[in-house]
Amino acid sequence: MKRKLVLLLLLFAVFSVNAQEKESLNLFTDRDLYVSGETLLLKVFAAASEQSGIVNVDLINRKGTKITGAILEISNHQADGFVYLPDSLSSGFYLLRTSTRTDNALTSKELYIANRFTGLPASNSDMQSAGVIPLKETFAQNLEITGVEKQYKLRENGHALLQLTNELIYQVDGDVSVSIAGTTQDFTTTQFLQKSEPGAAQSNVREGINIEGIVTDLKTGKPFKNAIVYLSIPDSIPGFQYFITPEDGLFNFQIGKYFGKIPVVIQCFAKDKSSSLKITLSDHNNFKNEMPDFERRIFTPEFVKYIEKATSAITFRKIFNQQEITIQPAPVVKRDAYPYYGIPTKTIDPQLFIDLPNFNEISKELLPGVKFRNYNRNPTLQVLNTAQQFYFNEQPLLLLDGIPIRDLNVIKDMGTKDIDKIEICQNERFYGDLIFPGVVAIYTSKADYTRVPESNDLIKLNLEVIQPRATLNTPSEQKLSDPDLRQVLLWKPSLKPAPKMELDFRTSDIKGRFKLIVHGKTRDGSTFYKEQIFEVN
Amino acid sequence: MANRILYIVFIFGLLTTTSLKAQEKLPKKWTAEKIKGTRQIPYASYSGSPFLNDKFATGEIEFQDGSTIDSLGLRYSSYRDEVIYYNTAISAQIVIDKISLKGFSFIDGNGVKRVFRQQYYDGFMPGNRYFEVLSDGDIALLVYRKVVLQVCPPYNDNSGVLKNMSYQDAYNYYLYNRKKGYDLIRINKNSLLSKIDKLTQKSVKKLLRKNKIEVNDELNFVKAWNLLKENGIIINF
Repeated sequence: MKRKLVLLLLLFAVFSVNAQEKESLNLFTDRDLYVSGETLLLKVFAAASEQSGIVNVDLINRKGTKITGAILEISNHQADGFVYLPDSLSSGFYLLRTSTRTDNALTSKELYIANRFTGLPASNSDMQSAGVIPLKETFAQNLEITGVEKQYKLRENGHALLQLTNELIYQVDGDVSVSIAGTTQDFTTTQFLQKSEPGAAQSNVREGINIEGIVTDLKTGKPFKNAIVYLSIPDSIPGFQYFITPEDGLFNFQIGKYFGKIPVVIQCFAKDKSSSLKITLSDHNNFKNEMPDFERRIFTPEFVKYIEKATSAITFRKIFNQQEITIQPAPVVKRDAYPYYGIPTKTIDPQLFIDLPNFNEISKELLPGVKFRNYNRNPTLQVLNTAQQFYFNEQPLLLLDGIPIRDLNVIKDMGTKDIDKIEICQNERFYGDLIFPGVVAIYTSKADYTRVPESNDLIKLNLEVIQPRATLNTPSEQKLSDPDLRQVLLWKPSLKPAPKMELDFRTSDIKGRFKLIVHGKTRDGSTFYKEQIFEVN
Repeated sequence: MANRILYIVFIFGLLTTTSLKAQEKLPKKWTAEKIKGTRQIPYASYSGSPFLNDKFATGEIEFQDGSTIDSLGLRYSSYRDEVIYYNTAISAQIVIDKISLKGFSFIDGNGVKRVFRQQYYDGFMPGNRYFEVLSDGDIALLVYRKVVLQVCPPYNDNSGVLKNMSYQDAYNYYLYNRKKGYDLIRINKNSLLSKIDKLTQKSVKKLLRKNKIEVNDELNFVKAWNLLKENGIIINF
């Protein structure tokens, strides 16, 4: 008997360890029903064990194709953000899918998005997912919502008081999220888990956004070993990383804390110049997961009415150019104090001198210790090593707006007007295991990287990186003449839990049913909610 | 009994597999910042040594952003005040950009950990310098291990070449406080006592005597300094 008991206890311990591993992401949105052109607001609670620090949120259609998305930074086991719903979306059910690189479990939430130009389908029905097992969320007993009236008038100020017991405050992991938004009585959607096939989630986890790909031989199509891959982020102090491919030809870069959209250039080359290489980037969203089954759902009159009202509201908001959210400035991230190629020995601004037509003239007249020659249409570039008083035999690291280039023909026609400044390092520079026999860094007047040509071994990207924070816009009371057509009256995705939390809101010109809902996550990984519904007439 | 052992072995095996599986998911160590620097140009050969440690010692560097890289072969050039590391992949001695480092440390030939910190020195010949931290705290005891090239009596080097220059130690010791800056200090008993209130000097002398510390070299000065700190004796700075 004792033996069986011990065995049971040990088995329980094993299963609880496994259960902890399976703690998933939780996804909440401001609403379940949207119209194209609106902004979707979302909150993600991550597991405490989550290590990637980044969550990908993708809007996918019924076929599993990604339409749009956002990359959010996980802080304090949570993230919040927004997704602009394109006007081109056709009416139908969509999935909002969250994923991280550490887990192959995908949390999805179903949404209905109606196209604001075409409206609902003529059949008054659409295909909705069926047979999914919703993620459990418990009704919070230790949370009270008071002060909310059952009915409000248009443009009336409201107040709510959230009261949390000390026990709940202790249990909450991170913050709580509160929203007040329009809703319908008979339409709610759920969040559920999907498994992606092994391989989609990477085991080689690095904190932040990752760029992965493969270098192949252009002739044979086989992975190329020992290719040098450069990743450059053009900037006033350019970002730079490199990778030397192993046998499988795969490479992997981590983009640090960059916000919004950034230009990124990835290029590769072989040590022997004879090989022609091709660089192919991997799509991290290429999850091979099965989509749920779908069954036809007929819309109720209230659903149809809600969509009609929401369609006219967003159309008016577009006409009056009312933005739903304000994007906050990206946080200032401390970067390197000097470029990766070192503090320049000399910095020359050619525009301070007489106009020179090409780089050959510029090097002769303005760049002491830089030898650029263009004999027989075969340009060469050399830099003087001042420490040892000789010219390096090899070509120096040549940068154009921070992007390494090897083809000197790109710069040979650059005259004074094209160049903002030139930085020169006249010594042998090292960056990790890379050796640069001198550096010539040219910063162009336009700084648009158009001179750097795309090819099989060079890819230019306008990379969407971490989404900056956004706040919901609330019109001021003074602007009475403007229509107030907000569907979302309050959106506070990160509120510090406290015994008493005061919330103020103001109803808009939209009549109908609104829901105040509070979501949170406890330390044991379970989520809780509390809601209160009121009418605006 | 045998069954019980089998059960326990089975369960522990299961637990081990589970924890190993969890470990696989942990991220690999990643140092985003690569070491930046220039090639070290050999110094002129004279008697004495321009380096604090002639052989490369295993050490760690700390970048300005707080990230660290360990297990590097490091050597501190007292002559040029620069830290050199040996890159085994490309077989090169590289002077690490001073501006990129917060500090470095290495284990010397005697097994002692030497900790260096890069700080701005605002006295004569201002600039960023590597100071060795002999004792840290609100008031830190630092040493700038400067080696200078000086004229000396003529001698023949190993190749029989006649020379009259040698590398000689010119160490400077400082008391340092973040707000008050640097205060030059000599390594002797009087200098130490001068930093203590006159009324407590007698008891300090007694304390040093009791602990058999004769303040006549760097090692004993550091011992004495740490003893004062342990006993809560206030330093006039």
